[in-house]
Amino acid sequence: MTRPERPSRPSSGRLLSAGSALTLALLTGPVSAQAPDVIVIGGEAPRFAIPACVPRKPDQATIDACGTVQTVLRNDLEFEGLFQFVPESLLASIPAQNPDAPNFTDWKGIGAKYLVVTRAELSGSDLNVEVRVFFVDSGQGILAKRYSGKADNPRIFAHQASDDIMTLTQYRGVARTRIAFSSDRDAKDRKGVKELYIADYDGFNARQVTVNGSLNILPTWSPDGRSLAYVSYRQDRTPMIFLAHIFEGKSVANLTGEKGNSQAFAPSFSPDGKRIAYASNRSGNLDIWVANADGSSPRRLTSGASQDTAPCWSPTGQEIAFTSDRTGSPQIYLMDADGLNVRRLTTVGGWNDAPAWNPSKQYSEIAYTARLEAGGFDIAVIDLATRQVRQLTQGRGSCEYPSWAPNGRHLVFSCDRNRKWEITVSDRIGTALRTLSTGPGNNVQPDWGP
Amino acid sequence: MKRYPFVLVLCTVTLAACGAGRQRPPALAGAGGGNGTGAGSGDRLGSPRHTQMLDSGPDVQTLREDSASGQDFSLSDPSGEGGPLADIHFEYDRSVLTDEGRATLEKHALWMQSHREAKVTVEGHCDERGTTEYNLALGEQRARAAHEYLLSLGVADARLRTVSYGKERLLDSTGTEQARAKNRRAHFAVSR
Repeated sequence: MTRPERPSRPSSGRLLSAGSALTLALLTGPVSAQAPDVIVIGGEAPRFAIPACVPRKPDQATIDACGTVQTVLRNDLEFEGLFQFVPESLLASIPAQNPDAPNFTDWKGIGAKYLVVTRAELSGSDLNVEVRVFFVDSGQGILAKRYSGKADNPRIFAHQASDDIMTLTQYRGVARTRIAFSSDRDAKDRKGVKELYIADYDGFNARQVTVNGSLNILPTWSPDGRSLAYVSYRQDRTPMIFLAHIFEGKSVANLTGEKGNSQAFAPSFSPDGKRIAYASNRSGNLDIWVANADGSSPRRLTSGASQDTAPCWSPTGQEIAFTSDRTGSPQIYLMDADGLNVRRLTTVGGWNDAPAWNPSKQYSEIAYTARLEAGGFDIAVIDLATRQVRQLTQGRGSCEYPSWAPNGRHLVFSCDRNRKWEITVSDRIGTALRTLSTGPGNNVQPDWGP
Repeated sequence: MKRYPFVLVLCTVTLAACGAGRQRPPALAGAGGGNGTGAGSGDRLGSPRHTQMLDSGPDVQTLREDSASGQDFSLSDPSGEGGPLADIHFEYDRSVLTDEGRATLEKHALWMQSHREAKVTVEGHCDERGTTEYNLALGEQRARAAHEYLLSLGVADARLRTVSYGKERLLDSTGTEQARAKNRRAHFAVSR
C-alpha cells in the first residue's frame, strides 16, 4: 500500500514549532532504535489498550485534565476507524503498575497489540502531558512525546497526540482539523440572520467568526486553514464573496468585485490556494467564474442561459465539478479548469447538487446532495471510474451539503432532524454516522478544513 | 445502516486520478521554526493561541467597527418583511410567473408610477426543500422573472435591483405545505 501522506518522523524535539502554544519534546529512553516504527493498517485492525491517565500529582485539577486527555485521545483514535480497543472492563482487570515500566505480559494477556500510556501534570496555568506508545509483543516503545502548554483546553493535547500517533500509520489524522459552518444560533428573533462559526472536528470548542448581524453563508476554508471565504449579505444586502482572515480579525469585502446588480455565491479555493472558483450573475445569469485568490482577473468559464453554480475543484486543480440546470433539472457536471470539455456526471435522480470531490489520492469519487427518494435529500457518493453511486444517508430527514475531511476518509454534512439542522459526520462508506453537538440553532453548510 | 447502491450507465467520460486534495494538508508544523508570540505563524499547532485570538481578538472588533458604518440590516426593520408591495408566489422548483403573480406585478408597476422616488429590491426566496446552492440559483431566477416583467410594464431598470436569498431566509419555517407555499416567493423591498 502506498503511504502518500505520512510525514517523516521527527529526529529531535523540534517537531512542533516553538511558536505554538503547545510545545512538545520527545522523551528519551523508551524508544528503541530497533522498534517497529509503524502501525500496520490492513487485515485485522490493531488492538489498542489505552488505560486511565496516570496523574503525576494528586490534585483534582491534574486528575481532571489527565482524565480528559485519556478520554479524548481514545475518542480521537476511535474516530479514525482504523483500530480496535481493549474494553474498559478488561482494562480494569490489569493491576496498577508503574507507567514508566509496564508489565507487558499483563497487556498481552488481554489481547492488546499496542499500549498507550498517558500521564499529566498541572502546574499553575500550564499542563504537561506525556504520551507513550509501546508495541506490546516486544515491549518496545514506538512513540514517546511530552506536550506542554496552557491548560485551558486539555482536549488540544489529546488531539495533538492522536495526530502524532496517526503519523505511524499511512493516514493523516484529523484530530486537529476544524469544521466551519453557518448557524442562526445567535439570530434571536431576526429572520435571515446567520453567522459563521468554526468548531473542532468533534464538534467541541465552537467559536463565532463573523459578528455582523447579517446573513453569512457558504463558508469554505482556504487550503492553509487560516482564512474562510464565504457569502455575506452585509453590504447593501447583496450577496457577495468575503474573505475572513480569522486569526487576524480582518476581512475583505466583495472579493470578486461585483458591481451594480451582480451577485456572487459559492466560493471554492483551488487545491493550491492560488485561485478561487465561484458563481456570479455578472453576465446576466449565474455562471461559473474563476479569479485569482485575491479576486483579481475574474474569468467566466460557463455561458448560456442555464444556472450554473456550486463549483468544486478536483484534487489536481485541473478539473471543476459544478451544478447546472441546463437539461431542466439540477445535475452535476465536470469540466476542465479552463471551462472546456464539459460533460454530465450524474444521470440518476431529478435533483443533484453540491459536489464535493474527495481530496485523497486513494479515492476517485465525488460526494453530492441527491434527491433519490420522494421528498427528502440524501448524501450520495459517485465513483468516478465505475459511475457506481452509494447512498450514505437514509431516513435521517434531509441531509445535504457534503464536505470531505482532508484525508478523504470521512465526510461532514448537515441533516434536518425534527426541524433542526445539525452537523453530521460519517465515514466514507456511511456505516458510522453521528451528530455533532456544536451548539444550539440550525447548523448548516459545514466545510471541513485542514 | 441500510443503503441502496445502484449502478449508473457508463458515460464516455474519463477522469484524471485524484491529486493532493481540495483542502491540501498544510506543511508539517515546525518547518518555520518560528518563535514567538506573533500572530502570523502558519502552524496548525497553535490552536490554543488561535482560540484566544478568535475569542477576544480583532476579528470581533473589526467586524463591529464595520457594522457601525451602517451597512448591516437596519434594526428598525429586523425582518425586512412587510412594505407596500405584496409578495408573489411560485410553484415548487419553478421560476415561471403565475397569472396571479402577473396581476400582482401589474399593481406594483402602477404603484411605482405613482411613487416616482421609490426604488425596489426584488428578493427571490425558496422553500426549505431544495438544496442550498441550487435554491440560491432558483431564487435568483424568481427575482429576475419578476424584475423582467416589471421592466416590460415600463418600470425603469435603474429603480430595480434583484437579490436571491435561496432558502436562507424563510418567512415561515414550520415546514407545512402552507408554509412552503408562502416561502416560494418574490418579495419587494422598497427604499428611496
